[in-house]
Amino acid sequence: MPNKKTDLIQGTLDLLILKTVAHEPLHGYGIAQRILLTSKEILQVQQGSLYPALHRLQRQGLLKSEWKESGSGPMGKYYTLTALGRKSLQEEQAQWQRYAGAVALVLES
Amino acid sequence: MRFPWNRMEADLKRELEHHLHQLTAEYERRGHSHEDAMWMAKREFGGSEQVKEMCRDERRWAWMFGIWQDFAFALRHMRRSPGFAGTAVLTLALGIAANVIVFGVLQALVLRPLDVPHADRLMTLARTDQTYPILPYPEVRDVRDGNTVFSAVAAWSVWDVGLEANGVTRPVWAFPVNGQYFEAVAIKPFLGRLLERADDDHPEASQAAVLSWPSWQSYFGADPNIVGKTIRLNKHPYTIVGVTPEGFYGTEKFIQPAIFVPMANAASFGEGDLESRGHASVWSVVRIKDGVTTPQVQTELNTIAAGIRRRYPKDEEKAGFKLTRPGLMGDFLGAPARAFLAGVMVLAGILLLAACANLGSLFAARTADRTREIAIRMAIGSSRWRIVRQVLVEALVISILGGACACGLAWMALTSLAAWHPPTTYPIVFFVRPQPSLILMALLISVLAGVLFGVMPLRQIFKTDPNDSIKSGGNQSFRGRRWALRDVLLAAQIALCCVTVTAAFVSLRGLGKALTMDLGFNPKHAVVTTFELSQAGYLGAAADQFQRRLLERVSQLPGVVEAGYANSTPLNEDTTTSSVFSQQTADFRASNRAFYCYDYAVSPGYFTAARTPLLAGRDVSFADTPKTPPVAVVNQQFARRLFHSEHAVGRYFKNSSGLPIQIVGVVADGKYLTLSEDPSEVAFFPISQEAATKTSLVVRIRPEFPDAATNDMAGTIRKVIRDLDPSVPIRESSAWNSQLGMTFFLSRVATAALGIFGAFGLLLSIAGTFGLASYTVSKRLRELSIRVALGADAKQVLSAALGRMLIVLGSGSVVGIVLGVAASRLLSAIVYQASAQDPFVLAAVAFTVVLTGSLSVAGPVRRALHIDPATLLREQ
Repeated sequence: MPNKKTDLIQGTLDLLILKTVAHEPLHGYGIAQRILLTSKEILQVQQGSLYPALHRLQRQGLLKSEWKESGSGPMGKYYTLTALGRKSLQEEQAQWQRYAGAVALVLES
Repeated sequence: MRFPWNRMEADLKRELEHHLHQLTAEYERRGHSHEDAMWMAKREFGGSEQVKEMCRDERRWAWMFGIWQDFAFALRHMRRSPGFAGTAVLTLALGIAANVIVFGVLQALVLRPLDVPHADRLMTLARTDQTYPILPYPEVRDVRDGNTVFSAVAAWSVWDVGLEANGVTRPVWAFPVNGQYFEAVAIKPFLGRLLERADDDHPEASQAAVLSWPSWQSYFGADPNIVGKTIRLNKHPYTIVGVTPEGFYGTEKFIQPAIFVPMANAASFGEGDLESRGHASVWSVVRIKDGVTTPQVQTELNTIAAGIRRRYPKDEEKAGFKLTRPGLMGDFLGAPARAFLAGVMVLAGILLLAACANLGSLFAARTADRTREIAIRMAIGSSRWRIVRQVLVEALVISILGGACACGLAWMALTSLAAWHPPTTYPIVFFVRPQPSLILMALLISVLAGVLFGVMPLRQIFKTDPNDSIKSGGNQSFRGRRWALRDVLLAAQIALCCVTVTAAFVSLRGLGKALTMDLGFNPKHAVVTTFELSQAGYLGAAADQFQRRLLERVSQLPGVVEAGYANSTPLNEDTTTSSVFSQQTADFRASNRAFYCYDYAVSPGYFTAARTPLLAGRDVSFADTPKTPPVAVVNQQFARRLFHSEHAVGRYFKNSSGLPIQIVGVVADGKYLTLSEDPSEVAFFPISQEAATKTSLVVRIRPEFPDAATNDMAGTIRKVIRDLDPSVPIRESSAWNSQLGMTFFLSRVATAALGIFGAFGLLLSIAGTFGLASYTVSKRLRELSIRVALGADAKQVLSAALGRMLIVLGSGSVVGIVLGVAASRLLSAIVYQASAQDPFVLAAVAFTVVLTGSLSVAGPVRRALHIDPATLLREQ
């Protein structure tokens, strides 16, 4: 199963996380699952990168977190975007699209 | 402990557990059993500790948490190897404490200026022809009246005075001062006023006295209404007009006066003639005017001296003045004290160097020990900085502990030194206070030393490949290894320690010789009682009668063998001199003088009581009176110097007033001022011919009596004197032995200081040698057991294990002893008869070095010899 999955390009994880929690508050596992699902099981986020990234984004003030009941079992730590995070998401997203477009132009030439 | 990161840790753990729970639930949904699901979830999740560690790195205070972790780790590490930690802390503590103590004393005695305003303008006036800064009073007056460069010229002296207050008479030390004294020191009174020019204008101009702070505290209970009260000094009423401030103790750093009185009143205190130009009796300090330079001052002093020489060609042939730094009796004590303290400072520095070398080799050994651990940490991805930080924190913990111990040691030593009174009747106090700046300095040195030597050995580890280290288990082949840094450090350290040990032995030997030398009298089984009769109003014939009555009473006491009295006894710091002229002299100017001699006034029986052998002629007698021709008893050196033979009885010499004096007896030579003096000339005059009010009663008791009897006798004599006249203040009544304390004081202080340094040095070298020897053996246990298994005998094992060690030890010791012998030449200035060429000293040093060396390698040797190869090879 891991063969088909692609490692994330350096620096894109933060953007993916911000985008994913922009819709609704999610816990770490939920974020990883959502990214896996929406990327049609191509992008798998390793725990070893996910949690440090979450903590880093929270320290930078882009995310905030709270403990909440998750459907069943123990409490989960849910992350949401802050105002600063929302602004950062827009900028990063624009920049990524410019970058991806540019790469595509070069490859298709 | 509650720290924010404790809550953060719990949070992190819960978060990751939640993830794992979700993952398990996911696998269960896919149809796996609970156990399988858990196992699969764990496998997918991977190392949760690694994730945690990475999350921790993202935190804001991550570095602080890391240091806390390092700190806890360092403490755990030290608990596991208490030998290493203890040795390192002890090493640092000893090296630093020695330096802080010596520097504290240096600061108090030499570096710190006097506690008076503009202390740099205050200088001691001294004659150019002697180091002891004492002058005839008329010369001080000449300088005072003839100069334009000083704002004040002060004269002061020390008198022994009976202070009667609230019905009690106490012998105290009074400073008679001239009218400009308090202008020169420029202090403000704490209460009332100080003595002024008008108080000293002419004899008995005023009966004003100023108390020093300590005597106001201890004799008058800090009475705030003391100003205006009347006391009696030597039976004369005086009014207290003021109190000096707390920090003021005159211009000498270790003398504490009790009271200040006008110098003009000398006659009523029974003090001798201050007006004679031939008799130096006062000290002088001067305050230089602002803007005046030292050459200007010296030029003017030369002019004044030339004038004095012109006006008094007979008495003042050699008049000449210079200025020296105040505080330690000019150059008399100042120069040797500065030299000695500088020498001791060098020793302390050597000790610190040795301690650092020791610390360096300890850390080097320890780091080598941890090569494998560090390699593993590097291999699993630890950064270099992380490792350096760990070692740094460990070095810091050790150096702070060491610094703290050093501060404690130094604090104790300096406070007890400040509270200690040297064994002398003079009011000597050491104003040594532990300074916070010193403590700070100690901590700084220890941290620097610790960090430097802790991190240095890391370089060699970073150079090695972690792979190699792990494979060989840190046991790089020792055979044929190059001389490592730690070998050199150990040799250097042992050499330095040998220097301190040699110095200690040289001074110990010197003191031993001094204690057993012939003094010219026997202070054992004798009681000396001193008092000043003028303090109770006795003068001239009255004093003579009192002394004779006392001698009569005391001679009848049971247990007394002989008794006699004198104006002073040898070696009690109170010695007067007079000029001696040959009988042919007619012109009694100073240049025609044959020599100076010490003079004493003694009673009949004094020589037998003091056990000074009478070699020829007769003792003085009460039949020698002012009406009979003047006579004297002289010592051998006097006879040799004047007549070039010891047959002096019946021959004559003249004193400075030209009076011919017949020599009636010759006594054996002795020591009179210091133990290290050359044979000195002495004349003993009959006290019945030259009455003295200052009295030292010497009472010899039966030698078979125990020491306690000496003290009982001292008490009995006090009682006898009190029965005769209770108003006579007794300065001292005790065993003669104990009164000589001050004579041995310098030697004792030097020996104590050097002894402590020697002990510190020995401890350091034991710690260093033991540490490195046991380290070497434990590192090579495996190799050694293979040797034993292959049939090596004890000698081969030892030479393999410790051969190199012994070379290091031996060469270090030899270099150290040679250095020590060279350095000890400097000691002979302070310690009497100290000589490093003494074979006894050399043997003792060598023996000590060999003994401590063998003691410190004994443990490791035992371990090397008792290797059981089977057990060891099985274990590894």
